Amino acid sequence: MKKSSIFGLVVIAIAIAVIISVYSNTSTYGSFNDAEKTSSELHIIGHLNKSKELVYDATKDANYFAFYMKDNKGEERKVVFTGTKPEDFERSEQLVLTGNMVGSEFHASKILMKCPSKYTQDKLEVTEVKAKQASL
Amino acid sequence: MDTVFKGEHLLPGHIGQFFIVLSFGAALLSFISYYFATTDDALKPNSSWHKLGRIGFYLNSLSILGMGTCLFYVIYNHYFEYHYAWAYTSRSLPVYYIVSGFWNGQEGGFLLWTFWQAVLGNVLIWRAKSWERPVMTVVAFSQVVLGTMVLGVEIFGIRIGSSPFLLLRNALDYPIFSNANYLSFIKDGQGMNPTLQNYWMVIHPPTLFLGFASMVVPFAYAVAGLWQKRYKEWVAQAIPYALFACMILGTGVIMGSFWAYESLNFGGFWAWDPVENASIFPWITMVAAVHVLIVYKNTGHSYFTATFLVLITFVMVWYTSFLSRSGILGDTSVHSFTDNGMFWQLVLGVLIFLVLSVVLLVKRWKELPITKKDEETYSREFWMFVGSVFLGLSCFHLLVVTSVPVWNAMFGTKIAPPSDIIKHYNVIQSSFAFVVTLLTGFTQFLKYKKTDVTRFFLTTGIYLLFAALITALIVYVTGIYKMNVVFILVMWGSAYSVIANGKVLADAFKGKFKLAGSAVAHIGFGFLMIGALIAAGTSKVISINNTGEGFSPEFAKEQNPRENILVYLNEPVKMGDYLVSYIGDSISSPNHYFKVDYKKIGADGKVENEFVLKPKALISRGQMSASPDTKHYLFHDMYTHITMFYPAPLADGEEANNAGAHDEGNDDKNYDAPVSHEVAPGDTIRYRDGYILVKGLNKEAKVENITVTASDVVIGANLEIVSHGKKYESVPIYMIRNGNVFDFARKVDDAGLKLRFSKVLPEKKKVEIMVYQQPESKKKFIVMKAIQFPYINFFWAGTIIMVIGFFLSILRRKKELKAV
Repeated sequence: MKKSSIFGLVVIAIAIAVIISVYSNTSTYGSFNDAEKTSSELHIIGHLNKSKELVYDATKDANYFAFYMKDNKGEERKVVFTGTKPEDFERSEQLVLTGNMVGSEFHASKILMKCPSKYTQDKLEVTEVKAKQASL
Repeated sequence: MDTVFKGEHLLPGHIGQFFIVLSFGAALLSFISYYFATTDDALKPNSSWHKLGRIGFYLNSLSILGMGTCLFYVIYNHYFEYHYAWAYTSRSLPVYYIVSGFWNGQEGGFLLWTFWQAVLGNVLIWRAKSWERPVMTVVAFSQVVLGTMVLGVEIFGIRIGSSPFLLLRNALDYPIFSNANYLSFIKDGQGMNPTLQNYWMVIHPPTLFLGFASMVVPFAYAVAGLWQKRYKEWVAQAIPYALFACMILGTGVIMGSFWAYESLNFGGFWAWDPVENASIFPWITMVAAVHVLIVYKNTGHSYFTATFLVLITFVMVWYTSFLSRSGILGDTSVHSFTDNGMFWQLVLGVLIFLVLSVVLLVKRWKELPITKKDEETYSREFWMFVGSVFLGLSCFHLLVVTSVPVWNAMFGTKIAPPSDIIKHYNVIQSSFAFVVTLLTGFTQFLKYKKTDVTRFFLTTGIYLLFAALITALIVYVTGIYKMNVVFILVMWGSAYSVIANGKVLADAFKGKFKLAGSAVAHIGFGFLMIGALIAAGTSKVISINNTGEGFSPEFAKEQNPRENILVYLNEPVKMGDYLVSYIGDSISSPNHYFKVDYKKIGADGKVENEFVLKPKALISRGQMSASPDTKHYLFHDMYTHITMFYPAPLADGEEANNAGAHDEGNDDKNYDAPVSHEVAPGDTIRYRDGYILVKGLNKEAKVENITVTASDVVIGANLEIVSHGKKYESVPIYMIRNGNVFDFARKVDDAGLKLRFSKVLPEKKKVEIMVYQQPESKKKFIVMKAIQFPYINFFWAGTIIMVIGFFLSILRRKKELKAV
């Protein structure tokens, strides 16, 4: 066999190994219900329930942040995050949590949030415009 | 649209839009003319198609400049009737950020890209000689495709591209726009996202886009080579441009990384965010391509690999653009754009160049100069080839993981990226990095074609052993040995690469100077890897804080790292080796700086080292964004970042009202219930945070705004407050006027105190002082995170060295071109 063919096989083997290792490493998107059934880490997409309280009191614990999130299936759970409350958290439209259920709480190791105002900036703040109208 | 809108400045927009269409048309003309100049007029030295192609391209370049001028005019004059100006800038934005407002949006990014491509096109017209016609056909074609991205024209109900001159009233759908006078209500733009208000935002995007744009040149040469069947000649021509592209893109990417480290809150220089990953795909494949191009030039081997890598790099540039602009990364990336309605157009952009590459390769497959003979095992070309393939594999891995949302969209699956994604990338990419760095080392001891085997093994062995010793030392000192074994291997590979290439560099100074470029670039890369490895691997969060209450028993049980520490104003906290205190604020709108004092205390209790960091929070439009501050030492950095502060930031104008709150009754609510003390001069009052010394009574005390008459009795109590090692003075006043008693309380805000001189007790020869303390929850504090990054300077220095290496290589390859 030619050396280049051997090398080609090695490369293909590595490529396959990469794909398998990535695939076995990937987690899944799920709901809180799915998270209750498994102990491994899951990604859950949902949105903040803005009508319920956000718990963050740095004077008591600077690394405890709790809130309620509704996942895309409408299930709601209390979520606990080890860290500070992310900036502009209240404005978030969508949250992607990584973590697992511990008892009745979802313990998030990572929160990714999308704030529309920050990224698309396409919200004309009508209230603000009106206020200026009055002052004319 | 019958309404006549008042106050709009439509002229610059019309001119700008005219330039957009003109640039598109001119690019199309240039493409078609160059195409026919290449095919029909191939044998004519004076072709009118050729002339027309040039004219088209010049016209394209000029209209791009016109476009830019119009856009700048619109932004500079704050014409908020244009969506672009309204969305990304505001009146208060300083001029230098107006420049960066220019490329804040997607349209501006495309504009920058097409601008650089035009510049490179002009360079090619000037320099490419016999290659001009086919190469410029490709470049002009690329301009055409880019032109469609900013066209913003509707054809058959489909909007093609997105124009930066879109009017606000056409971009958004609000009832206010039916009012002819709507502009008088829009006083200001949205302003720039505070995190982007940074000087890096002024230079990072242009550099990055020049890097992306310059990938077109090697691609154009490769396509021209295949198309014109000049299979061999294009390689030497393309090498300097390929090196240039690697140099610039590399610089641009690391600038982004430096920006993230210096002023964003990622807590590091590389976060493996999908958008970051995407920006290095083309870099990796182009670096791989450069190596095999050189192999081909010197030995005639690896032709297909070289061509393939050059072609795929340009496809990667478009794929990168697709990933970051199409909104597909929405669930996985923090800084991708959202869909601008151009999803399919971007997909088309990737496919056009992919299909073009594949079709050309398939059509010419039989004629390609692919060698039948194998490379020698002990030859430089073979191992350079292997190295390039491994670079390709590393890019492949990045691509597979980063594209998870793409796979989901394509196959309808619901896979999420690995949950500990950083570790995943670190381990797998390090495995590739180990192989690659090792190869950049020992390949230096091999010669092209054939090498003396015994001598090779001897030198390689000696250097490997030497590198292993150094690695052992570094690993022991920095504590890397506690980590995954892969990282130790990378350290070994990188150390080896630095040493082996150091030898080549030493030889270069003895006379073989042309070898210096690659040696310097490799040394730089080695240092970069070493720096990245130590800094990322052994960075230590020193603000560990396990004092919190943990609101639920389940939470308290977990051993999660608690990386944020709470620091009250003027109350020092011990953190690692340091005593940290929050000593004050300085505000220069919109920046709010927090002064954080670090004292390093030695074993003998003396202060060994003291410095003040000023991390800041930027408040704009009610959004807060924090920016870290870093103390740089030669061998490590102290990085400090505010994650929260109290009291919460006030919106503009609100502050003044609060500070001047006169309502005494309300004010007392800000304090705990007062404690009264009967004291005589010389007594001390103890309280929670320290003590108060009553130094004496003062009969000549003055009260502001009150004229003291002879019949009034005014007494001040001279108090000295000592709180957490700091001294403050305060003089609360007691006054009797016309038989009525008044007292004037004094506040010591820094100590969180209010003091009242409430009674005089002549029979006891004492006075009563009331001490109001702010409750813990009302005191000012910050929550911060501090990270120590050791040896990060290796990372930056390595980058600079690598860029110098690329530059030297460009000089050498250009010289070779002239010599031929």
